[in-house]
Amino acid sequence: MLSCQGLRKQFGQRTAVADVSFAVDDRECYGLLGPNGAGKTTTIAIICGLLKADQGEVTVDGEPGGSLAAKAAIGYVPQDIALYPDLSARENLRFFGQLYALGGEQLEHRINETLALVGLADRGKERVGTYSGGMKRRANIAAGLLHRPRLLILDEPTVGVDPQSRHAILETVASLGIAVLYTTHYMEEAARLCQRVGIMDDGRLVAEGTPSDLIRQHGGQDRLRLTFGGAPADGLTSACLLLPAVSGVRPIVGGLELTTDHGAAVLPRVVREAGRLGVELTGVEVVAPDLEGVFLALTGKELRD
Amino acid sequence: MISSLIAPLVLTAILGFAFGHDAPKGHLTIGVSGATPAVVAAAAHATQLPADVAVRVLPHARGVREEVANGTLAGGVILSGTHRRLSTLLIPIVAPGADQSPGFDVVSRASSLAGEEWAESIAAGLASRLYAGHLRPGAAPQFASIRVSTMSLGNAGRGILDYFAPSIAVIFLFIGGGLGMRSLMLERSGGTLVRIAAAPLRPSVIVAGKMLAIFITGLISILTVWGATTFLFGADWGAPLGVLLLSVGAAAAMCGLGAFLTSLARNEQEAFGVALIVGLFLSLVGGNLLPPGSLPEFLQIVSLGTPNGWALVGFGRLSLLHEPAGSVIGPFLVLCLIAIASFGLAMTRVRRMVQP
Repeated sequence: MLSCQGLRKQFGQRTAVADVSFAVDDRECYGLLGPNGAGKTTTIAIICGLLKADQGEVTVDGEPGGSLAAKAAIGYVPQDIALYPDLSARENLRFFGQLYALGGEQLEHRINETLALVGLADRGKERVGTYSGGMKRRANIAAGLLHRPRLLILDEPTVGVDPQSRHAILETVASLGIAVLYTTHYMEEAARLCQRVGIMDDGRLVAEGTPSDLIRQHGGQDRLRLTFGGAPADGLTSACLLLPAVSGVRPIVGGLELTTDHGAAVLPRVVREAGRLGVELTGVEVVAPDLEGVFLALTGKELRD
Repeated sequence: MISSLIAPLVLTAILGFAFGHDAPKGHLTIGVSGATPAVVAAAAHATQLPADVAVRVLPHARGVREEVANGTLAGGVILSGTHRRLSTLLIPIVAPGADQSPGFDVVSRASSLAGEEWAESIAAGLASRLYAGHLRPGAAPQFASIRVSTMSLGNAGRGILDYFAPSIAVIFLFIGGGLGMRSLMLERSGGTLVRIAAAPLRPSVIVAGKMLAIFITGLISILTVWGATTFLFGADWGAPLGVLLLSVGAAAAMCGLGAFLTSLARNEQEAFGVALIVGLFLSLVGGNLLPPGSLPEFLQIVSLGTPNGWALVGFGRLSLLHEPAGSVIGPFLVLCLIAIASFGLAMTRVRRMVQP
């Protein structure tokens, strides 16, 4: 459905996108992960025909990127709310629908259908300016879905949204069954929705694959967090390092963090050693590797930086 | 709604109440004190007053001032009897080599622009006659009234509103056009431009669509001022077909110019400032803020470099000279050329204009 080959975009001396290549299949949800300034939005702007790439090629549903046919195939949901606050959701959809050559009965039918899909069927006649943040986000998505695009591009659609609305948005996206390019810096969203993710940093695509593959390849080991009261337990640190599956121990506030390949298997032995040394454990947590860890391992940065 | 109907109606009301009641459709009388009827007659003759402008000689300056103040006289000229240096005179028309001229004051009501113009003309005529020494000022007789028949200067009997209504409407159109194109910037700052630009539309279509909306708004606004000043306040803009042609031409030129200015601006504030400054500059240079023909000659030539200057040429032919609709084809074509040229220039930067 979408193919990007060797995209490059420079703003003055700054390289916003450098040799980015990826593809999104029909009905696939592809996540583009990266911190602010990684080049996600610029990449999307090139795909949507809003910016011209200095180099590289985009095709959307077989059409050259930026062409009217390619634009018609895309439903774009920008990061900021792109609706007229003084108009109702229904009026906004009517206007944006007309830009896609929709009209008459067909447009009214699509408006009803789309408002129902995003859970705004009973609020469609109210001014968008009076909506809550979550409702605005849902109306924003509705405007991108109205013309039944074959590729939906969502640029951080859940920023600043309450958990309930976020859940509703994710449910909506998951139910669409069309190709979706989804950018976010919430890993749990990417892990939940996306069959594959690409990780961007400093304008480059540094890794790509299914979430589980990426975690297996780059996510590192389980982390076992122990907390206890009293003085630092030097004896426990030494004892843990002697355990065969533990590869590292580092102090954390009020306790220790162990890195291991099998956190659950090591846990009983660590508890036994603590008991033997008289260390009273107040908390134990096994943290499995995730996309955050992948990102940290690949870029040396937190995803939310 | 605000730009196309409410604002033009407010403008019409202001113009109508300011000038409508004072539009001198019939006779207009200028009072003179301090000169003999013979001097005044000679001065009036030299001034070539039209048939419907009368000059009345009054014995005292106070009488002139009072009658001008209460509206009986459209304007007045008061000779002080002393001589003034040329540099202090309003209109120093004197013999070659002279450095002094008889002193006079011109008085008029603020709303009677025509009265002021004719009083100044008479004062100029008096000044030249008196200084030349051909006739000496004497005691004025009581309420002598002099009628001077002369050739028409073209604007005889026309009301101020006839000229100022289209003139101000054109200013409004040009400032409004620039501000209208600012809406593209507002779409950008409001975030909606990105969605419009992502739709399957060419950038030129987006800009042209915006311009069409502003063109229609501008056209409705000028036609509203035309209709309202005509039907509510009795203004006469001239041949309706000509007015329609000029309105279309002026609205098109305004759109093109607005698009060009918007293409230069980087943000909404810049677009607003540029539209306002350029609109006011054009109004001044084009002559919208001054009575017809009162710009210095070189500025009258310069005014033909502005679209509003050409619009005023056309409207002046219709309302002041009462020429037929065909007389505005020239100004109409010039306005269309300005529209095409400025729109073409804007289109060279069209991609930048719709870039979110």
